[in-house]
Amino acid sequence: MSQQRKALWEADLDEDLQDVDLNLAIGTYGQNGLYEDAQSRIDEATLLAVQQQMAQQAAFAQIPDVVKRFIAHFHQAVLDNNLAEITVAYESGWNRLTEKFYSKTEWPEAEVIAPLVNDDQIFLVLYRELYYRHVYSRLSPDIDDRFHSYENSCELFNYLLNSDGPVPLELPEQWLWDIIDEFIYQFQSFCVWRSKVKSKTEEELSLLADANQVWSSYSVLNVLYSLIQKSKINEHLVALQEGKSAEEIAEIVGEYGTRPLYKLLGYFSIIGLLRVHSLLGDFTLALKVMENVELNQKSPFTRVTACHVTTYYYVGFCYIMLRRYPDAIRAFVSILNFILRMRQYHTRSYQYDQINKTADRMYALFAICNALSPTRVDDNISNIVKERYGEQFSKMSRGEEGIPAFEELFLYACPKFISANPPPYDDADLLAAYVEDHPVEPAQRHLSLFLSEVRAQAPVPTLRSFLKLYTSLDAKKLAGFLDADEEEMVQQLMVMKQSSRSVSRVDEKGLLDGQMISTSDLDFVINDNMVHIAESTVGRRYAGWFIRNTEHAQRVLDTLRASPLPALQKPTGPSAEGGKDAAPVAPAAPAGGKKVAWGSTKAA
Amino acid sequence: MDGGQFEAMTSAATWASPPTRPPLIETLVSGVDRYNPSNVSILEDYLYHQIRSEEYDCLANLAILKLYQFNPDLYNPDVVINILIKALTSSPFPDFNLCISLLDERTAPAPSADEPDPLPQLLPLLTQLHALLHQCRFPAFWALYRSDNVEQLRDNYTVECVGFEDAVREVAVRAVKAAFTSIGSERLGTYLDLSKDDLKAYVEKLGWTLDASTGVVSIPPNPDNQIESTVVQENIQLPRTSSRNSSASDTRLISNVHLSRAHKSHRARSADVITCCIRCVN
Repeated sequence: MSQQRKALWEADLDEDLQDVDLNLAIGTYGQNGLYEDAQSRIDEATLLAVQQQMAQQAAFAQIPDVVKRFIAHFHQAVLDNNLAEITVAYESGWNRLTEKFYSKTEWPEAEVIAPLVNDDQIFLVLYRELYYRHVYSRLSPDIDDRFHSYENSCELFNYLLNSDGPVPLELPEQWLWDIIDEFIYQFQSFCVWRSKVKSKTEEELSLLADANQVWSSYSVLNVLYSLIQKSKINEHLVALQEGKSAEEIAEIVGEYGTRPLYKLLGYFSIIGLLRVHSLLGDFTLALKVMENVELNQKSPFTRVTACHVTTYYYVGFCYIMLRRYPDAIRAFVSILNFILRMRQYHTRSYQYDQINKTADRMYALFAICNALSPTRVDDNISNIVKERYGEQFSKMSRGEEGIPAFEELFLYACPKFISANPPPYDDADLLAAYVEDHPVEPAQRHLSLFLSEVRAQAPVPTLRSFLKLYTSLDAKKLAGFLDADEEEMVQQLMVMKQSSRSVSRVDEKGLLDGQMISTSDLDFVINDNMVHIAESTVGRRYAGWFIRNTEHAQRVLDTLRASPLPALQKPTGPSAEGGKDAAPVAPAAPAGGKKVAWGSTKAA
Repeated sequence: MDGGQFEAMTSAATWASPPTRPPLIETLVSGVDRYNPSNVSILEDYLYHQIRSEEYDCLANLAILKLYQFNPDLYNPDVVINILIKALTSSPFPDFNLCISLLDERTAPAPSADEPDPLPQLLPLLTQLHALLHQCRFPAFWALYRSDNVEQLRDNYTVECVGFEDAVREVAVRAVKAAFTSIGSERLGTYLDLSKDDLKAYVEKLGWTLDASTGVVSIPPNPDNQIESTVVQENIQLPRTSSRNSSASDTRLISNVHLSRAHKSHRARSADVITCCIRCVN
């Protein structure tokens, strides 16, 4: 694709950077009007403006030429709606230049590079989006950065939502995802930073007291819901499920929804809502907003891997909090296999690290689910879990004593929970009380709720290990083995029964739908005082072997297909050995044998 | 308490959208109007309707808590306590914890300073009651519930909640009927907090039978108290794919592997699905 084509400014990267910049736009900037008048009526304001201008010019002069060219080129690509060029600039150019020039400092401010892009406000908003994202990911954003990145996001969404009709802008899928993803990340980051009252300076305190709308939950939800409504994405998804034709869908979604930019932003906003509601602890609503999204990779609405990973992570986590472990397990297995499969294609993606980190957290969550609802599961995944979390897993399967292991994995793998409301910055007395009596952190609150669930189930593993040994047994005798009171043990048996049942999606549409299913291979029933036990066993499993070998055969076939025909190789071979050459090719070599044959020819 | 009620609890669809939910509430719960603070009184009225009429709508109640979460000045402790009381009796479903999840730490003082906020005092009790129910420790639940500690909760709140004690009994009934085929009436009595004649009437209403001579109550068969040893076999569906992209189809292959029980009847399969069952003869 376009990645292979080197862009103009990329070629320059490794060259000597001394060549003179010829961008004429700079020459005129800063001298139009304001500077000429300066001598006649200098007042304080103009002086200030001039000084600012000069500072900007100085800053501008500092920008390496290759960066200037990159920005100009980037701008042109955006103006032309040239997706291929924008993608190259966005995915590779920006990151390469960041590594080279801005790994420890900010990119030039938007005001400074404005002359390069003819003061194009739309481009500058997009530029700032990247600028602040860089600040958040590489540097430590200060309060101004946090406020300004919020303002910039508002400006961007205002432009998209409140222009006359849909805007004629096109951006790559990945960037659109990143815009929504980053918007929520910055919101979450702000909430966490905001909740730490003690470390705030006087100035920060007074700014926070006045700015309670900045990054407020309502404003964030407002953006996401507006994008969803504007793009009619829910109607779109429903129409797709009903098998409507492209024309019918176009009619339904209207002038906004037919444009890829709005359609994708709408879809990503649904995923964004899933995430925001999860962060705020509303796991039911998080799944409810997803009711029109089909969870599979069969007919993906988007090809952005990060979006799939995020979706499954939050859906899986919400299911855990809804005590629907089989559904959580299914979500994790499905996406973790997907990630394993996709690994080979994604090693170079700049998001590879992030995806890997999320995957690792999902392995931890998978271990938690499997400990709470022991079921036979996907071998691939459970082997990796054993490798990474084997120690914790065996502790978690032991009831009460495993609680620290649950705690450790939960805190590692849970979303970064936030509080919906800021500390009372606008009221000094309340704020003092708040600092004095610091409330429990959101993550700790959710942890303790989760642990209460774990604790309720704590007797189950021990009971299970005893029941496994019998087909029927007197309750009194069982209580004796357990060294427990009979009545207490009967109550624990009821808990065990409860925990072996779960609501699970069978083939319902919405993520909240489901039916009661049995999740355990060990079942029992109490007839007055006799406990009868039945165990389900698993027959030998051939499928994994079958699938692996099918895949292997497929790969062999693909390799064979992709190989050039041996006959074509002949003319290039040394003519003197022509007679010899023909010989090794002739025998029909089995899989992979072809390559060996060539190798031996050359060696000969 | 009857079969229908139990059925209702087993289907998540009716939990997410109970048939008793009026259209106005449905619009609020499913739309963006749920964020509008001025709608809080509609939802609160609906909660009190649930309290009076033995109905239950978890999502509508969560919508109230959501509004309180975003608008701390709307906070009304009585409403929160009533929501928690309703959620209490949906155990073993997680409603109670889902409600607590939305109760952010409060940063503002109680709205009316002359009347102290009852929630901080009652929340630990409610949590304790929930834990007992969730752990099927029914006799302990009744003991705590009847104790002096809980007097304020009983006198001010649960007494207003029509059918609260019966709703607790239903929690016990759900647990018992899943785990037992027959149970001693004395034991059952401690779970339901009912003695002789009341117990007899209650058991009758459930359609269970009490053997007067042995004092054993038998529970009719249901999907959970009938156990069966089964051999689980693999059931793998291979979607036929014209896609040349082998990696994508492999992913699909893997993700569709699941185990199904041998005695389950298979659903009708669509024509484009090849089913590959590898049976294991034991």
